Amino acid sequence: MTLREAGGPVIPNFGHASSCVTENRFFCTDWFRAHWDDTLQPALLEHLKLSAIAVGIGFVLAFALALVAYRYRRLDHPIGLASDFLYTIPSLALFQLLVPITGLTVTTVEVALVGYTLLILYRNTLEGLRGVPEDVREAARGMGYTPTQSLLRVEIPLAVPAIVAGLRIATVSTVSIATVAAFVIPEGLGRPIFVALGTNVFKTEILAAGGLAIALALVADALLVGLQRALTPWARRHRL
Amino acid sequence: MSFLADEFRPGTFVDAFRFMGDNPGLLAHKTAQHLELSGAALGIALVLALPLGVWLGHLHRGSFVAISASNFGRALPSLVLIAFGLTIFGIGFWNNTFALVVLAIPPILTNAFFGVDGVDRDAVEAARGMGMTGRQVLLRVELPLALPLVFAGVRIAAIFVIATATIAAIAGGGGLGEIMVNQASYRLAGVVAASLWVSFLAFAAAAILGLARRALSPRGAPAR
Amino acid sequence: MFRKHTRRAAKAAFAIALGVPLVLGGTAAASHRSAAAKPKIVVGTKNFPEQFILGQLYKQALQAKGFRVGYKENIGSSELIDTALKSGKINFYPEYTGVIVLDLARQASPKTAAATYLAAKRFEEKRGFTLLNRTPFYDSDAFGTLTTTAKKYNLKTISDVKNVSTKLQYGGFPECQTRITCFKGLTDIYGLTNVEFVPLSGISIYTALDQGKVDAGDVFTTDPQLASGKYTILTDTKHIFGFQNVAPIVSKKLTKAYGKRFTKTVNAVSAKLTLKAMIAMNKAVIIDKQSAAKVASAFLKANHLK
Repeated sequence: MTLREAGGPVIPNFGHASSCVTENRFFCTDWFRAHWDDTLQPALLEHLKLSAIAVGIGFVLAFALALVAYRYRRLDHPIGLASDFLYTIPSLALFQLLVPITGLTVTTVEVALVGYTLLILYRNTLEGLRGVPEDVREAARGMGYTPTQSLLRVEIPLAVPAIVAGLRIATVSTVSIATVAAFVIPEGLGRPIFVALGTNVFKTEILAAGGLAIALALVADALLVGLQRALTPWARRHRL
Repeated sequence: MSFLADEFRPGTFVDAFRFMGDNPGLLAHKTAQHLELSGAALGIALVLALPLGVWLGHLHRGSFVAISASNFGRALPSLVLIAFGLTIFGIGFWNNTFALVVLAIPPILTNAFFGVDGVDRDAVEAARGMGMTGRQVLLRVELPLALPLVFAGVRIAAIFVIATATIAAIAGGGGLGEIMVNQASYRLAGVVAASLWVSFLAFAAAAILGLARRALSPRGAPAR
Repeated sequence: MFRKHTRRAAKAAFAIALGVPLVLGGTAAASHRSAAAKPKIVVGTKNFPEQFILGQLYKQALQAKGFRVGYKENIGSSELIDTALKSGKINFYPEYTGVIVLDLARQASPKTAAATYLAAKRFEEKRGFTLLNRTPFYDSDAFGTLTTTAKKYNLKTISDVKNVSTKLQYGGFPECQTRITCFKGLTDIYGLTNVEFVPLSGISIYTALDQGKVDAGDVFTTDPQLASGKYTILTDTKHIFGFQNVAPIVSKKLTKAYGKRFTKTVNAVSAKLTLKAMIAMNKAVIIDKQSAAKVASAFLKANHLK
């Protein structure tokens, strides 16, 4: 039913919600299906993008930093302290603090998310490298490997379990923290949750978006477990 | 009077400390709320997870539960849990406490399990050989030796809960988060002040737990 | 020789660690510089559904006419979005004229809607911005309670609150506490001493009222929830809430760069936003849970603005 005000605008029929929605019952599949395309799927893809970029960049940076700290032991302590402190800064605050510097953009969110992943990835990579037994390194040297060859062919491969374990934790944490990003930019699965909280605590939207965020994290985790097993066939005995 | 452009400059830290000085009552009130919420959640999580983890570790059963709890727990975003809590409990004490309890359980459970499960088998054998019952072994041998890992888990949970309790402000939970979500009233200086305060509380909790662990650890226990 | 090779490897790693962010930052800066010819229109909105609808309306109408529009939704309250405006993060957002005059400019309250608009326009023009035409509809704050509460304490006007013997919890957006068009007006102009402010940062006032977390609170006159009869607005005899038509605050750089075609497009949208239209769109988004983008699109299409 289109309304027409005298001399005023045409007000189209925007459609009515089902009684399930107006009564705010626990889960309204009709709303879920109707709004998958315009609300849930875009949020999911944004979330995936935010997380993937953060983990990707975080991994590159953390790996580089870990290699540096592996070589220059003295740098480990300050790098470790810095990332420890960074981790206690609540994401709600960090996102806001970056806005004046990097704007109301995805960059702001990415800088914060990369910061959070650095701690986990850096530590795990470093511990993985350090965990390579000395006699293995001796053996490599004995076989005539240069230090770089040793690093690339022996030490890093042996550190892979620890690195991928760190990658698992970092990925899941990133997906989790990225929900708060919606506090400063309207992207990711946090956005439908904030919107739903701010209207009438709309249960369906909260459960849908929240469920998707949890599912995304679990799927990513499972894929990385698969990667870990594929990369370390010799470590099958140990459950991680 | 027009509003200042809120840049984030080194001066903001100075402003943050001035904010702390100018608003002792506000910060004290919010800190009290924050600690109340965090303490309650941590306490409940300890009651639920610690005995369970210790007991499973003692029986060397259910490692899958302990590991899965960790993996699954990490996949639960705090915002999502707070929102779930609100849908189930409505606004009140329980919606935020529920969320924080769920987040605190995994590290406590996992570390309690692996702490007790991983105690040196020789020590346990020796104790049994001396005629100790299962419970005596647990209380007199396994728990004391498991303390480092157990405390590590509690420490992780405490830091996490204190930092995460800031989100509770979104669901009417009070605490320092209420300053953090209110940049409009408290400016960036207030947000920085509240954030520094949260970091400080988290570190303080970790330090207190460190002292407690040292006080409770038996002498000569292997450092883990 | 061992050291030389690992040093090289470490240097390479370090270079990567520095290089990646530099390259990313460099490409970002480059893309900023290349678009310096005409300023990009960046529309921002405040943090509630009516603003999302308004933002989408203006954004989509401009895009339909071929303008390139950036969109920053849900920035925050007037105080925060004003900062974003001044620092150039956005250059267009829909604001309430009374809020500009009374809360941002901190001037005395004008006596008519037209006077409020003019005062707001004058204020913005001093700062390098201007106001485009105002909408027919207005949306002011109001003192709302559950109808049962109003009946219980026999409340008809805001002044009646003085007679309530218990302390009333008054909920609202955090910035309401310091605004003369909100809680501060209640205490300073009405002289109410038995109201205590409860900041609501994530949940709506209606949720808080329904669950008994507050006794009364700051509602908006275009809220669709008010149509249900469950809530009552007290009469504002002292007019603290001001006149609150919406007018887009726009950077003068935009009007200079894009001229009449730009302003005509925006004003055409504003002209169609009557009270009935706005309330209908609010209802679609807030009660019927439609997406603001889709609702805006449907409205623009029905009125041949898209």
